[in-house]
Amino acid sequence: MNAAAAIDIDSAALHRAVSTLETLILGKPAQVRLCLACLLARGHLLIEDVPGVGKTTLAHALAHVLGLAWQRVQFTSDLLPADIIGVSVFDRAGQQFHFRQGPIFTQLLLADEVNRASPRTQSALLEAMEERQISADVTTYRLPEPFFVVATQNPHEQLGTFALPESQLDRFLMRVTLGYPDAAHERELLRSGERREMLPQIASALTPEAVIRIQARVRTVYVSDAVLDYAQALIARTRDRTDLKLGLSPRAGQGLIRAAQAWTYLADRNAVLPDDIQAVLAAVVSHRLEYSAEAAARIGRTGSGGDGHAIANELIRAVPVPV
Amino acid sequence: MAKTKPPEGSRRGLFWATGAFGAGVLLNVDRVPSWVPVAALVLVFWRVMAGSRSLRLPGAVIRTLLALLLVAGVMLRFHTLNGLSAGTALLILMGSVKLLETRAQRDQFIVVAAAVFLLVAACLDRQGLVRAPLYLLHAWLCCAALAVIAYVPTASALASSLASSTAQVGLDNRAAMLLAGRSLLFALPLAVMLFVFFPRLPGAFWAIPRSDAALTGLGDSMSPGSIAQLTNSYEVAFRAHFDGPPPPPQELYWRGPVLHEFDGFTWRRTAHSFAHMQPLQYLGTEYRYRIALEPSAQRWWFSLDTATGSPVPKVYFTFDYQLISAEPVTEGTNYALVSYTHTRAMQPLAQLARRYDTGLSGERNPRSRALAVKLRSSAASDDAYVASVLDLFRTGGFEYTLTPPRLGFDSVDDFLFNTRLGFCGHYASAFVLMMRAAGIPARVVTGYLGGEWNPIGHYFVVRQSDAHSWAEVWLDDRGWTRIDPTAVVAPERLRRGILDILPNAVSAPARFVWSQPWLGGLLQRWDALNTAWNDRVIKFNYGDQLRLLQQFGFKSPGARELGWAFGAGLVGWMLWIAWHVGRGAPRSRPDKLARAYTALCKKLGRAGVTRESHQGPLAFAGEVSRHRPDLPADVQHLLLRYAQLRYGRTEGESYLADVRDFEREVSRLALRARASETPRR
Repeated sequence: MNAAAAIDIDSAALHRAVSTLETLILGKPAQVRLCLACLLARGHLLIEDVPGVGKTTLAHALAHVLGLAWQRVQFTSDLLPADIIGVSVFDRAGQQFHFRQGPIFTQLLLADEVNRASPRTQSALLEAMEERQISADVTTYRLPEPFFVVATQNPHEQLGTFALPESQLDRFLMRVTLGYPDAAHERELLRSGERREMLPQIASALTPEAVIRIQARVRTVYVSDAVLDYAQALIARTRDRTDLKLGLSPRAGQGLIRAAQAWTYLADRNAVLPDDIQAVLAAVVSHRLEYSAEAAARIGRTGSGGDGHAIANELIRAVPVPV
Repeated sequence: MAKTKPPEGSRRGLFWATGAFGAGVLLNVDRVPSWVPVAALVLVFWRVMAGSRSLRLPGAVIRTLLALLLVAGVMLRFHTLNGLSAGTALLILMGSVKLLETRAQRDQFIVVAAAVFLLVAACLDRQGLVRAPLYLLHAWLCCAALAVIAYVPTASALASSLASSTAQVGLDNRAAMLLAGRSLLFALPLAVMLFVFFPRLPGAFWAIPRSDAALTGLGDSMSPGSIAQLTNSYEVAFRAHFDGPPPPPQELYWRGPVLHEFDGFTWRRTAHSFAHMQPLQYLGTEYRYRIALEPSAQRWWFSLDTATGSPVPKVYFTFDYQLISAEPVTEGTNYALVSYTHTRAMQPLAQLARRYDTGLSGERNPRSRALAVKLRSSAASDDAYVASVLDLFRTGGFEYTLTPPRLGFDSVDDFLFNTRLGFCGHYASAFVLMMRAAGIPARVVTGYLGGEWNPIGHYFVVRQSDAHSWAEVWLDDRGWTRIDPTAVVAPERLRRGILDILPNAVSAPARFVWSQPWLGGLLQRWDALNTAWNDRVIKFNYGDQLRLLQQFGFKSPGARELGWAFGAGLVGWMLWIAWHVGRGAPRSRPDKLARAYTALCKKLGRAGVTRESHQGPLAFAGEVSRHRPDLPADVQHLLLRYAQLRYGRTEGESYLADVRDFEREVSRLALRARASETPRR
């Protein structure tokens, strides 16, 4: 009885969170849901787009609405790992070193413009994302639960960026792009001014405990063999294609299923459909798939990212849904 | 230098491999010197302890030394590495040493392979009915071990373990046993086909000579006391199965070695045949029977006295009506014979043979010989003389016993005039000597008397304890005539087994079995079952294969027909496997639900909305409501229900009913094509 009541309360709160986010981020309902699904699937999120379309606002809104403690780190080329992780300082009174925890010890870390930092700093962050713990001196510190990284980055072509290598991109469950708003929503934006100023006036919809409960429930969303067949067929297709640099990894496959479960949960259903797989496919695989150099040359692409969405859509159209 | 390491074996894989190997050692434990399994046990224990980190595994040097030491041990004991026993011992020891370096998955496979070889070694040695289930169990165990070691989780198993957040990804023991059992069941038809149709070489080619087999049985000589040793043994000599009614008990004389030469103490066979066979006139009933001979390491094939000839060319029918094989009997043998219990000679005895069978070397046993001469002179004929000697045994205070006192140098004199205690050997020996001393040709015949009737299997079991010896004398009007002097002293010996007369003569376990009727009955049942197993399965040979083919309608089958039958069976088996694999493959054929959904999509296609192959049910439902908002709500319901049935949980009793319901509603659904506009897609 209690558990059922808790489920009702949590899902009502979740819906409130979705609608709040949609009022903050105008005209991007699909992206908003993808971002939420990513976090509910215990995945880290990468938001990529040109400057000024609301990446940071989206990240802030997520932290705020989920009711999580959050920290923000602006990545620059001279940022050091210790600036994120923390540093040991000498305590004169106690005559010993103390570890002062860095901004990463939080529930939601906003890593702004993550691709501006040097590779060394990037990899320190990405390691923490995978292990969910920090080793400093001789002690290992667990990161809090839940722990998310929402990173934003500008497309690679921009000046002063260090592109994340494939192995590190793989750590992000999803990459979401926002794109320019349509005319009506842009007018609304122009009229109402800075969205970020609205944040303090909005009550957070969820609590960290509720997020953990929902995460656990997401894992119980049923995945039938038919859906697994479909997911496997999609993954196998990426490995068969000769025009791609790399096929999808098993980790990507696991992420695809987890993300689809979360998406299904957000839609208030209890079993994953092929439609759910399709809905999250582009966000989950676009940063992991790239045309090979020859294929990119042949079809006149730069071969430097940004083609992931096109490839994902080709995949969806090429693989029949099992009946 | 970093070397690429082979995949690490799991701990459960190691335990299973060790278990399979240990069971293989157990199967062979009584066939190797006892230090071998003990050494194996120590090494296995070492490995298991090292697995739990309380002991360290030895390094390469120690392992090599250990292996050399153990090989030397085997060499010392057997003086060879060839042969079944030495080979098995070596396999056990080397497999145990291999365990000490078993880390990778590949090593575990090798250990299981050693276990399978141990099973094969056990099969080569013994094929009894009791052991068959043990062998089967061990094969099962080995397969399950292979399953555990080789298991690689499938994608869906990984995903479900991910979803249920259970840490263990592997085959649990139950699943491994089930998988192995199923695989063995699939292999069973192939095994049966190989058994029935694969051409067998005449004579079992796997019969490896057993050097260390200490078998009991009649030898080629008889001295006082030698047969008494045999009667202690409860082991089976052979089984006899009569086609018709069996002869009466007093005629159940099973003929074995015939002894001609006497040195005063021991009777021996003659080294060479000095006479040709007397042609016989067969009288009375003809007995047709089959004999299943147990291995004896001797060359004697036993027959009911007197057989009419040899059953197979390699067995020689001697002039004294004995069957002698060219090779020692090292494995169970079946043969069919025809015998008559009454015969008459058709020619007089040749001079040479007469001289030979009346010969007495030297001056041994003078008192007996003097007595013989005296008795013969007072007897009117040979017949009367025989009767008077038998009379001497009957009335002279002789007693039948299996524990007679030791006899002196002149054994017959000692027996006749001093001890007067003895059993068949003593009486036959003394009787033949008395005959020869009186100039009547005589010889000692050894063999078996009687046998235990098995009422379940309808055959006689003749044991070593039924060993017997009797005399044959040449009487001019009848030819060779069987005289059993023992029968005069202990007449009941003819009708009953030795156990009934002298229960204390045999070993305690045999006596116990004999004293418990229910146990005896049980053992008889078991013996009948065992005999059927031996006859039908173990001794199934090329001839039986051809006979089976004849029953299938082949006119004159040979190896080629066997090959055809085997090929046909093989193809059938593979088709069966293919069918089964195909049936088990997920979604290789559309099921009920898929057919109904296809039908629904077709109806909607006719109504103007075609489903693209990459569209899921939700996307299609959206498509339908966009293009045909006028369609009844039933359509949307049906599409959503399909999604639930196909992708939702399928456990639950109502699932099949729901699918049928869905099917019905789809077939009932009637859609009108849009009148106003041409179909869009």
